[in-house]
Amino acid sequence: MRWAATARGLVPVRRVVRIGVTGLARAGKTALLTSIAANLLAAGAGLPALPALTARLGGRRLRVSAASAGAADLPRFDTAFHLGALARDPPAWPARTQALSLLALELEIGQPGPFAALPAQRVRLELLDYPGEWLLDLPMLGLGFGAWSAGTLRRLEKRREAADFLAFLRVLPVTAPADEALARSGHLLYRALLRTLRDKAGLSLLQPGRFLMPPPGGEPPWLEFFPYPGDGPLAALLRSRYEAYVEAVRTQLFSPAFGQVNALVVLADLLSALHDGPAAFADTTAALAEVAEALRWRGPALLPNWLAAVLGFGISRVAFVASKSDHVAERQRGNLAALAAALTRLPIGRFVRTASFAVAAVRCTEDVVWTLEGHPVSAVRGRLLGAERAGRSYPGEVPDKPPGPEFWAHPFLALPDFEPMRLPLGGRGGVPNVNLDALLAFLLEDVL
Amino acid sequence: MKGAHITPRFELEGAAIERLEPELPPLAEEPRVRTGSAALVLSGVGVLVVGFAALSVGNAVADAFARAPALGWAALAMAAGGFGLLGAGVWRELSGLMALRAVDRIRAGLSSGDPRHIAGAARAWLDELPDGAALIPAVRALNDPDSVLALLRTRVVADLQQQADALGRSAAIQVFAVTAAMPSPALDALVVGWRGVRLVRQVAELNGLRPGLLGTMALLRRTALSAAGVAAADIAINSATRAVLSNPLLQHLAGDVAGAGVAARRMVVLARAASAACCPLK
Repeated sequence: MRWAATARGLVPVRRVVRIGVTGLARAGKTALLTSIAANLLAAGAGLPALPALTARLGGRRLRVSAASAGAADLPRFDTAFHLGALARDPPAWPARTQALSLLALELEIGQPGPFAALPAQRVRLELLDYPGEWLLDLPMLGLGFGAWSAGTLRRLEKRREAADFLAFLRVLPVTAPADEALARSGHLLYRALLRTLRDKAGLSLLQPGRFLMPPPGGEPPWLEFFPYPGDGPLAALLRSRYEAYVEAVRTQLFSPAFGQVNALVVLADLLSALHDGPAAFADTTAALAEVAEALRWRGPALLPNWLAAVLGFGISRVAFVASKSDHVAERQRGNLAALAAALTRLPIGRFVRTASFAVAAVRCTEDVVWTLEGHPVSAVRGRLLGAERAGRSYPGEVPDKPPGPEFWAHPFLALPDFEPMRLPLGGRGGVPNVNLDALLAFLLEDVL
Repeated sequence: MKGAHITPRFELEGAAIERLEPELPPLAEEPRVRTGSAALVLSGVGVLVVGFAALSVGNAVADAFARAPALGWAALAMAAGGFGLLGAGVWRELSGLMALRAVDRIRAGLSSGDPRHIAGAARAWLDELPDGAALIPAVRALNDPDSVLALLRTRVVADLQQQADALGRSAAIQVFAVTAAMPSPALDALVVGWRGVRLVRQVAELNGLRPGLLGTMALLRRTALSAAGVAAADIAINSATRAVLSNPLLQHLAGDVAGAGVAARRMVVLARAASAACCPLK
């Protein structure tokens, strides 16, 4: 479909390319967005920050600037703040994201060979940052209160941490009255349970996400609900609050972030999931599958899919990205990318191009050969955050497909807390990374 | 390198180390520039002409001194005056060319992304502009390079563009009037060519450049390079041409004399293209 993309680029109107980034909490979304912004700005200033992207341009001009925010509702993604934190000595990683923000860049790309005299193509690139916990609210968009409650309670039945909450539910009559005190008690118990499952059991598939990461400001009353299988006045009250919650997800997260997405990045910290053990790994996989199902490709209802794809509607590219890939040596990154592709299979249409990548948005390590038990192994070496001393890490072998029981017989080490490499020109020269240029060249191929 | 049976581990090294630095990308090898044959021939001719002229003048001065000292001093004064004027002309040409190079340096500085280079280039550019000095304190007060660029775009680039457009419109009206009345198409070309060169020099002076003959030729070459993009890109040119021809009499004439309308449009395009070639910031 290269010819269609070239033809669209010749039309002298500014295009908006929106890239949805789906990533669970601590997957590295904020670092990825900061690195994308800094490296694109550096590449636009003629610095060698993204070699694969520059090679794809083949000598054509690329100018990048921060786009005007206009009178938009969404706060701006604070690139300068995040970049400053990574650049300073000692550096700091981005804190947990607590609210939505929009990264918007203006790209001016020269036209290819025969059309070089025509005006440059203007593209507004938009990416949204949001708390990763909120991502798991997306599957709720397609579920009613009853189906959501049944599914959630089914998962909780296997967990011993849920004993208190389940005991509370058992004593509630099916036709319980719409009592505020009951609703509040159930909500607080359920919220405490979600926190325990996240912090102590390392689980990800925890809904609703705003119970774990509430939005800034006061909490609206519709936030107070919990999964409940009853069918009386209390159930009606909880159902109305659930529906208000789902509507807020639709208007505040789904529409701005994923409503008209042209490309999707499915970001996952698979190395940490490998360390957390089989239950957490299966939970991460299930969470990603649910999100992927909620976002699967849909073109406009009135157009056949092939025409929608040619006209550029819907998601045209999906990148499966394993983050923090600099924590394993280059030899293992192929396996990591293959594992990302195997775990995040989307029910996508035939007009969607997919690729998998092992990316480190902010590089922290260098590869070394380490002799262990008489054998040379590929390991990584980095400076520990706040320690000023270097550490060598060989976390284990990364499988290239979903691991079987034999894999879990050996431990996979936790990722050390390395500090970012020094940023060239204090961040204005880009952010050191692994494979970010290949990822961007893939995502932006239709406009390059 | 099989590591499947090796126990994973993490080990802390003993000594403190500096923060890791990213590997620098390999530097591209600069292509070797060969001197062209035409340049060699022209340099040879230049050396012969200037060298022999200097020798002849030297001999003539020596002869005059041999005849009478007063005659010698007069000849020496004439020779010094003549070569001085020649030197001044060459110096002016070279400084015109150097000023064009300075535009490239300032352009590179403004697009470097480095805050120090941007601030330095902005000050260098404002130093060259006729009314630029008034803005230098404001640029010094700004710490953020993006704000400096935004200020330059808003105040300087927009003003220069406006003035270049005004010059283009004025040239368009003159060219339109002259070519509509001109009896011969050959004279049309002459008038349009002369007015075009004058327009390019006017726009250059607006940007603080004073190009001589060589500088004007270099500027015309740059203007031609930027003209294709400007003409294709800017819908504003059509509106500007329409504005020039808004007088009912001129509209009537433009209908009758199609070439005059085209020539007027070319002046508007030329002003824009010359402005793009002279201005280090877009």
